[in-house]
Amino acid sequence: MKRLLGIALALSMALTLLALPAFADEVTEIQFWTWRPEDVDFYDSVIADFEAANPDIKVTQNAIKNTEYNTILSAALAAGDGAPDVFMSRAYGGLQTFADSGYMLALDELMPELADFSDATRGGATSITDGKVYGVPAVSQTMLCFYNKKVYEELGLSVPATWDEFIANLEACKAAGYEALANGTKEGWCCEFLFGGACASFYGGNDFYDRVITGETTFMDPVFVNAVQKMKDLTPYMPDMFEGVAYTDMQSSFINEMSAHFVGGSYEAAYFSAENPELEYGIFAVPGETAEDPAIVSVYADMNFSIAASSKKQDAALRFVKYLATPEFGDRIVSELAMVSSVPGVDVASNPFIADVLELQENATPYIFLVGFRYSQPTGSSLFQSAAQSLMVGEATAEETCQIVQDGIATYYEPFQK
Amino acid sequence: MNTGMRFKGAGLGKKVFLAVMQLVMIGYVILIVYPLFNMIISSFKTTKDIMQKPFALPVELDFSNYVYIWVDKGFGRYFLNSLLFTGTAMVFVVLLGSMAAYGISRYSFRGNTLVYMFFLSGIMLPLKAAIIPLFQIVKGLGVMDTPLSVIFIFIAMGLPSTVFILSGFMKTIPAALEQAARIDGCNDLRIYSQIVMPITAPSIALVTIYNAVPIWNDFFFPMVFIQSDRFKTLPVGLSSFIGQHSTKWNLLFTGLSIAIVPMLVLYLFMSKYFIKGMTAGAVK
Amino acid sequence: MINRRKLERAGWIAFFILPGALIVFTFIILPLFISLFNSFFNWNQLIRTDFAGLDNFKKLFGGYPYRERFTNALGNNVKWFVVTMLVQNTLGLLFGYLLSRGIAGAKVYQRLFFIPVLFSIIAVGYLWGLYLRPNGMVNSLLESMGLGGFKRAWLGDGDIATYTIILVNIWRWVGFPTLVFMSAIDNVPVECTEAAVLDGTNEWQLFSKIVLPLIVPSITIIVVLTIIGSLNVFEQVYTMAGLDGPPNYATDTIGTLFYRTAFGSVDSGAPEIGIGSAIAVVIYVMTFFVSLGSIVLTKSKEVEL
Repeated sequence: MKRLLGIALALSMALTLLALPAFADEVTEIQFWTWRPEDVDFYDSVIADFEAANPDIKVTQNAIKNTEYNTILSAALAAGDGAPDVFMSRAYGGLQTFADSGYMLALDELMPELADFSDATRGGATSITDGKVYGVPAVSQTMLCFYNKKVYEELGLSVPATWDEFIANLEACKAAGYEALANGTKEGWCCEFLFGGACASFYGGNDFYDRVITGETTFMDPVFVNAVQKMKDLTPYMPDMFEGVAYTDMQSSFINEMSAHFVGGSYEAAYFSAENPELEYGIFAVPGETAEDPAIVSVYADMNFSIAASSKKQDAALRFVKYLATPEFGDRIVSELAMVSSVPGVDVASNPFIADVLELQENATPYIFLVGFRYSQPTGSSLFQSAAQSLMVGEATAEETCQIVQDGIATYYEPFQK
Repeated sequence: MNTGMRFKGAGLGKKVFLAVMQLVMIGYVILIVYPLFNMIISSFKTTKDIMQKPFALPVELDFSNYVYIWVDKGFGRYFLNSLLFTGTAMVFVVLLGSMAAYGISRYSFRGNTLVYMFFLSGIMLPLKAAIIPLFQIVKGLGVMDTPLSVIFIFIAMGLPSTVFILSGFMKTIPAALEQAARIDGCNDLRIYSQIVMPITAPSIALVTIYNAVPIWNDFFFPMVFIQSDRFKTLPVGLSSFIGQHSTKWNLLFTGLSIAIVPMLVLYLFMSKYFIKGMTAGAVK
Repeated sequence: MINRRKLERAGWIAFFILPGALIVFTFIILPLFISLFNSFFNWNQLIRTDFAGLDNFKKLFGGYPYRERFTNALGNNVKWFVVTMLVQNTLGLLFGYLLSRGIAGAKVYQRLFFIPVLFSIIAVGYLWGLYLRPNGMVNSLLESMGLGGFKRAWLGDGDIATYTIILVNIWRWVGFPTLVFMSAIDNVPVECTEAAVLDGTNEWQLFSKIVLPLIVPSITIIVVLTIIGSLNVFEQVYTMAGLDGPPNYATDTIGTLFYRTAFGSVDSGAPEIGIGSAIAVVIYVMTFFVSLGSIVLTKSKEVEL
């Protein structure tokens, strides 16, 4: 009896070994870090799919609170091990910090498919020091205006074609007792996206971005000053004491249909729908002076997937990152996260909202301070955010705001030092 | 005799003053109880309800948030981990802290103030400032991703203020008590453990709760040093509800309501040591 | 003989102090000093390069924008100190005295006043954010009391935001000095108070002439902790306002300035470890000497029992 049992045991063990060839000792485990606790379930299921196709790799996800992510990541990377093999990296200036520190692997040669990504999305993953690409771009975000369709229907409004029509719509919503515009300015970065989402038509239509980058013009350009003034002009339609209205307050007032418009990022869509499935919202690009001016949105690349230079499992890491560059993954970003995937050839029809966003992206300008001026301190973002808070409450004029931004950037930005 | 403060028979000025202070204190009680209540009712709502009517009572006492985070999100384990880490750390904080405070306050020696300032230096800067070298030290000790990493750091975090506060209180113990014990043949360890510690009990209770709270609530260090899910703590679990652009307020409040319970229990337990009457006679 | 006794005494001192000191050294002092040392180097992003001498300090005190930011932030730290001393510690002393003297309801107050400390800062930040937002509970209350004119954007108005955060912090912490003073006053020998009461001393004299001098050590504790706390403010501002000290740096403190300079701010900026470390050095040196000064100063006021 005992012998029989022994044989049975040995047999079954042999069988298992045959069934899962080399499973036990050759599985490579890699660590994958993100700053998106809200997307843990999403990445878990992406990882499950990846592991099903790659049984020799096991991916462990670690989602770290966004605000602490950079600090923890830099401590881990500085120490070498204990660090992730694959991690979500910030775009632009945030990428530069880690690229210049030698913490990331350049992917140009390892991943020829990156050449097919658009220049704009690759820009967020490219180091300005050596021109190499250090991550697979994940998504692009668009700063635009959300509006509540039911309110528009109720008040007989239509998507505005000119700035005056936009103001008239806000006026009508306000008169009807709605909060016309949900936006507040308690946090500085909310000023930055209000500007990027509502005023780009006033400076983005010409080649302002290109000329300011090369130093041909400055932030004192009347075109830009005028755009900043337009943001100030929105204050009558913002909530009472908007300077005390926080980001979460804005979200909740739009989600709960107390406000009719919300200027912000396309990334809000998933949260809006999740918290209030009945909310019917549409999007538009805030128009310029006339209907002939293109209505422009600000766009930036967000999130890259990078490989740690210190990783001892770079082959496995590369296979995972390559998977994150496939249309299969891109499709899931679109359908499940409601974000615009950067992967070329992704079918966006599955999500009508994303299709709308892409339509708006036809007339796009780089989200100016993030894309162009977040590489050194004081960054364009930090200068604009704080100065704009003073502008909005009437403590500074549009000219003064632009002057602060211009002078601050000129302390280090060579094209401005001529 | 009763030397307590009496309202009857007091002068008008004192009466007015006491009445005003009662108002202030009752006002403060309301300001304490209401947020606590607000936090707990929020745990029975949905995120949308919390946003829309933050002060309204929940529609029903729906415990599904609790079940969800305790069972599905593994908060049972996180909770136990937190208890274990905080508990272990606090035992050492109190033990090593009171010993060091005793050493500093009951002996006069050269460099006494220096040692005092050495300990105090430990709270002069947020420890977050030292995260990169700290990471390397923890790695060097080979305790990365083990409970020991955070326990060590929690002990270190608690010691400076414990030493500082306790030595302040130990200083006030009359030297005569110690001398009497010495004459009775007590050695230093016995004086520490049987004379000084019991007398200091109220302040020990105070520093225990003072240090246990930030250690219990800290999510930063466990987030840095613990990657394995089985060692994660309650605050780390809580932080997973705070997304970049969206927060699950209902789950967050449920977790926060759970998290405050052990601290309330500890506080009510400790408070009997520093509330007069219960310890009366220790000094007198 | 003398030597042996001396040696034994030194042994006891070491026995009591060393274990704790070793842990504090390994996990706080050592890493902290390594970090402080970083201020003497140049940095390429997160990588230390060559020795910079005092360059980072020169930049911090000499040039735009660092000097402006630093002075502004330090000014706010001073506000924190002054308001905390005046409001929190005075209230704490009053509460502590009244509770110790058995004011009506003392037993209940003693058990409730410390509860705000038990809250996680996340809960404090969110709940008070709700109460203080423009359409929040505080403004509604003012409105309903006919004081609509006093409605403010409590956390968004640069003139008052810092004070609002300080007041919330006082709400959170006043229980601590209360309990410290209460237990110190409880320890005042009953003979002293009894004798005074028999002599017909009035309450004010009892407080100022008898109790106050006897609780100087706990006053030292509270004052020093207030100094350190005020120069170290970080969490409260971070949770209620943000890392950039909005609006327009109105709530900035050297703690938030340090953190975003050393580690970068996710929403606005890039890290500069060298200058960040220099800020940390300045915080440390300031805190050290101000605390030392106040310890030495109050030591002379202590009364031996």
